[in-house]
Amino acid sequence: MSFQFRHIVLGMLFLASFARAQVTTNLLYSKMDFFAQHELYDGNVIRLMGYTELIGTPIDLPSPVLIYNEGDSVDLGMHNFSQAAHHTIHLHGLDVDQATDGVPHLSFSIPHDSVGHYQFIAPHAGTYLYHCHVVSTLHVQAGMYGLLIVRPPDGGNTTWDGGYAFDSENAWLFSEIDTNWHQNDIINDPYVPGSTVEILDYVPQYFMINGKTETQLSNPETSIEGSVNDAIYMRLANIGNYGNRVIFPASLNAQLIDSDGRPLPSAINTDTVELYPGERYGVLLSPDTEFTGNVDVEYINMNTQLVESTQEAPVTISGFNTINQWEVEQEMIVYPNPTQNDLNVVFNGLKDYNGTLKIMDVNGKTVLVNNENLNENSTLSLNTASLDKGVYFIQYLSSYDNLLKKFVRQ
Amino acid sequence: MKSFAGIVVLILGLSSYAATVEEKIYILSDSMTCVDNTTFPYRTFNDFNAFSQNNPILQLNQDDSLSLWVVNFDSIDHNFQIEDYASTFETIPAGDSVLVGYKFVNAGGYIYHDPLNAPTNQYLGLAGMIIVKDHSHDSFYWNIKEHDSTWNDNLLHNVAVDWTTYEPDFFTINGNSNPDINADPLARIVGNVGDTLILYMSNTGNSVHSMHLHGYHATILYSSKSALEVGREKDTFPIHPMQSLVLRIVPDKEGEYPVHDHNLVAVTGNNLYANGMFMTMLISP
Repeated sequence: MSFQFRHIVLGMLFLASFARAQVTTNLLYSKMDFFAQHELYDGNVIRLMGYTELIGTPIDLPSPVLIYNEGDSVDLGMHNFSQAAHHTIHLHGLDVDQATDGVPHLSFSIPHDSVGHYQFIAPHAGTYLYHCHVVSTLHVQAGMYGLLIVRPPDGGNTTWDGGYAFDSENAWLFSEIDTNWHQNDIINDPYVPGSTVEILDYVPQYFMINGKTETQLSNPETSIEGSVNDAIYMRLANIGNYGNRVIFPASLNAQLIDSDGRPLPSAINTDTVELYPGERYGVLLSPDTEFTGNVDVEYINMNTQLVESTQEAPVTISGFNTINQWEVEQEMIVYPNPTQNDLNVVFNGLKDYNGTLKIMDVNGKTVLVNNENLNENSTLSLNTASLDKGVYFIQYLSSYDNLLKKFVRQ
Repeated sequence: MKSFAGIVVLILGLSSYAATVEEKIYILSDSMTCVDNTTFPYRTFNDFNAFSQNNPILQLNQDDSLSLWVVNFDSIDHNFQIEDYASTFETIPAGDSVLVGYKFVNAGGYIYHDPLNAPTNQYLGLAGMIIVKDHSHDSFYWNIKEHDSTWNDNLLHNVAVDWTTYEPDFFTINGNSNPDINADPLARIVGNVGDTLILYMSNTGNSVHSMHLHGYHATILYSSKSALEVGREKDTFPIHPMQSLVLRIVPDKEGEYPVHDHNLVAVTGNNLYANGMFMTMLISP
């Protein structure tokens, strides 16, 4: 599968995500720029505040993506190297207890050169945000925000436990920049806790997807790439002060399936998704033809409801995957593909042969479960005659293995 | 903790029948006073012949009828209409009054307002909430609105403004901004773990607001914008101009949690943080 996030904190979690309900510990540094060093697409350079994984890493937009599995016991530490201001991490949408909520006067804030810890159980699988809640109007605009993703308990490629299966996923975080809010006297203000703070009028000049804008959008972080009949999961989130209208090409067959970390009561077929500050939506794309074009993202002024910018994110949908070929480099091989009846499955080098082999439809619903024992280098033959014609996923899941293949029942 | 009085109310609520609710409201002109004592001209409907900067909340039960006298004590004509209920409006000449009647067969939230010179009269404050209930749970009410303090005087004197440049500087819930919203018992969500709490929101302003709950997700019970929104479980709720939403919150833990507009410009007031749409909800064990 492709996975197109630029920053992956807890890469080890991904590798170990086949185990359930882990204890995970990670640390972020909160920092601010002493001098302007973040370059925008047109060469303009601005100061930022932000979170980084390493103390020596320059601040980038957005901050690193945090990824956990549902049920994980998380200890998220933050070392504040602001030199001045207090900072926090608000876990937006995770519904943590008050002490962990990251709001200074109701939880705690972390002064310079101090470490604080946010301990919680990762809740429902879904898309969330994290951001500083100290003078949030300014600190969020300054760059102290990022995505937080909770995967299903098994860490697999489904939207949630029993949810939709997908081949690849993209996460787009929308925001804006008003460069007047990135001047030195704002970024380096000590922000005495509890004081009233003057805020400039907000007139953004840059409208971003994952911190990129205009000509910067032609890169893997802000592009959709896939094949006909792929299931592509889009995680959309808005941390700006404008609304967003995301317009998908009709051939992507967009389905709105979740919001704010919860499944919708029913999926909605729509090529246009509006999301407003603080909201998240999950969209499943099912392209049925080859296509090259753009997804348009409009930025809507909350007061006038006028569109002030449209950003174009490239989309490339190529022909069918070569799913009718033996995939000899994988540990699970399925053939023939497409199949009209028997589907043969060959395993090589599994770590654990006591897992479960099942077939799911494109909605993630289990439609067939294998009851035969597995052995090293064994070949299984599954009768798919009872399945309707269409695209399916076959998944082998054990404590150490998580293998997913797509096949077509003709 | 449920009290004996609460049980009596519940029984009465369940055994209630369709009634006619009689109300009288007065259109008055005066001024709004903001969190930093900034004032500007303002018009509202009022319970009495005395100006308040928040419009009264008219409450009924499902299937009730509303018999409403609207008295125009202003010096100019006004109109009266209920958003998402009736496409027609009543005209009320200056110094005159009108009796209007409506039957509400659907529970939810509605907005009564003056549609004359739209959106001017509504923007100047003439918009309030009608609540139609089908339950007896503890309920809370937010009339959400923003204000451009430099515009009201112009609009009051028929000086044209360009709505495409609208940039409000005050943000209120029931006429208050942080920290005064918490002192409004109609607005501040207070309850206990396991309670069913119902929140009625109406946006009588001209901006979109995006209200975010800390600590809890809530379920949308009613949306005047789209039935597709009903049943969604969310933590952030966009509400468009003249839209009403009804939410159900069932707190699973105690705590004091913020509730605020996540357009973070709207948590300011007159360019000061945090003098805008920010409050807390308080949930006890």
